Amino acid sequence: MLAKPLRPMALQARRLYVELMFQVMGRALQGISEVDQAARDEARELPEGFLFEMMVRPNGPSLVVEHLGGGRFHYHGDNPPRPVDLSIQFKHIAHAFLVVSFQEKTSEAFAHDRMLVDGDISYALRMTRILNRLEVFILPKLVASRAVKEYPANLKLPQKVLSAARIYLKVATQFFDTARAS
Amino acid sequence: MSQRYYEFFCPVKVIAGKAALEHIPYELSGLGVGRPLLITDKGVRAAGLLEPVLEACEEGGQEIVTIYDDVPPDSSTHVVKDIAGIYRSEQCDSIIAVGGGSAIDTAKAVNILVSEGGDDLSAYAGAGVLTSPLKPFFVVPTTAGTGSEVTSVAVIADTEKSVKLPFTSSFLLPDAAIIDPRMTLTLPPHITAATGMDALTHATEAFTCMAKNPLSDAYATAAVKKISTHLLKVMDNPKNTDSRLELAEASTMAGIAFSNSMVGLVHALGHATGAICHLPHGLCMSLYLPYVLEYNLETIREPLGELLLYMAGPDVYATTPANRRAEECISAIRKLRDALYQHCKLPRTLQETGKVEQDQLERIARLALDDGSIMFNPREVTLDDAMAVLKRAWG
Ligand SMILES: [Fe+2]
Repeated sequence: MLAKPLRPMALQARRLYVELMFQVMGRALQGISEVDQAARDEARELPEGFLFEMMVRPNGPSLVVEHLGGGRFHYHGDNPPRPVDLSIQFKHIAHAFLVVSFQEKTSEAFAHDRMLVDGDISYALRMTRILNRLEVFILPKLVASRAVKEYPANLKLPQKVLSAARIYLKVATQFFDTARAS
Repeated sequence: MSQRYYEFFCPVKVIAGKAALEHIPYELSGLGVGRPLLITDKGVRAAGLLEPVLEACEEGGQEIVTIYDDVPPDSSTHVVKDIAGIYRSEQCDSIIAVGGGSAIDTAKAVNILVSEGGDDLSAYAGAGVLTSPLKPFFVVPTTAGTGSEVTSVAVIADTEKSVKLPFTSSFLLPDAAIIDPRMTLTLPPHITAATGMDALTHATEAFTCMAKNPLSDAYATAAVKKISTHLLKVMDNPKNTDSRLELAEASTMAGIAFSNSMVGLVHALGHATGAICHLPHGLCMSLYLPYVLEYNLETIREPLGELLLYMAGPDVYATTPANRRAEECISAIRKLRDALYQHCKLPRTLQETGKVEQDQLERIARLALDDGSIMFNPREVTLDDAMAVLKRAWG
């Protein structure tokens, strides 16, 4: 007997949510690298022209950023201009959903064998720390403390609010630009 | 809904105990092979550890086609290529590794080349590159510590590009691990102590880090119990065959635990220290274990407290108030380190090693942050955190 398709609407919504969050994170990665010194210091060690991809296997949503040098990222959408140097891959869209809906920390997802690293593990650690930093910035504290192992103690509220607002602003304007252009 | 999820995998047949070596001929024939290449190092040969293996095979009608006994302590792609060449020219059909971490890792890498073909080992580096089983492979560990006989990783240095190539695949796991007390009976005291502490660290980190799970927990606690009961007995009486076997089993069990639930900051710092100061891995584990547990304490209070039962026994556990058990477990580990220092001067602090300079600490800390093990440490480690642990470990 053929299995009935399972809740197609809900599954599609989940996929759309992951796609959207990947876009937000891609843009926010570029944004955070422009405004946050700590993230830039972390990113600076990556080779210039380094391409990072986060994707869902087998051909699900993906986000690609390039390290331009000096700790700055450029978001390439889901299109790498050349083969990527480091790929973090979710085994299934459901696992990506757990992480980008902040139900599971990135490090937990690694510990739970939900993700694979293709590339240099030390770079993967660096990108994970930057992603953690980003989550702390763009999420309300309550959600962020669930998404990262440890909420940084040195993050004073004004700095957080300020920087988060700046990143949100960048994300929003870029979305706006994209919407206008299309 | 609980977020608990885990994977556990160990397909390695464990052949352990008295006259275990004598099972090798049968195991080979069971896989339809009969032309094994034996891979080992000069130290193993000099210690006379090859004889019992060769005798067991010969007596069982099993020919060993060739012996490669020149694996260096830090193996390289060059060595692997050479050995693969010997395997091919001698038309071998299986591999037996006899030794510690380096001989075992080398044999895993040789198995990749002789099974997949070619001479370029770097093409197979990374995770999940291999997609089919390799040649029949057996491991006879000669140290009780690394657990390499049950791990699916190998690290080989690419000397030309001066990088370390990591290989991860469950196909690297041997078909069987043969644990015979004769193989560790002559291990010198300081190596017994350091490798024992490596195994204890594997079990402790497996039990307290992020990927812990019920199956690896069972292996980890059993390993801790065996080590806390038998390590000092072996230090007192190196020829105690029963306790030697217990330690070898503990090492394999701790290996099964950590290969499924990973390790944490002790290993991250240890790998970095090994790379910069060239200290043996087991010693590094012993140096950092209590300080890292102290650093992680508030995040791991519950599992660490539970570990006291296996570390110090039921009496101590029962008489220690629940809220003091984690601290008590750390002090039990410190007592064990003190005893090992009395026995064989196994250093307890970086200062006692005499091989580490204080101005190297920051480099060690930075390198540790790039080590994969740090991902599974229960606390998010910053550079300042790593420095603080190193300063405490300085002494
Ligand atoms: Fe280890």
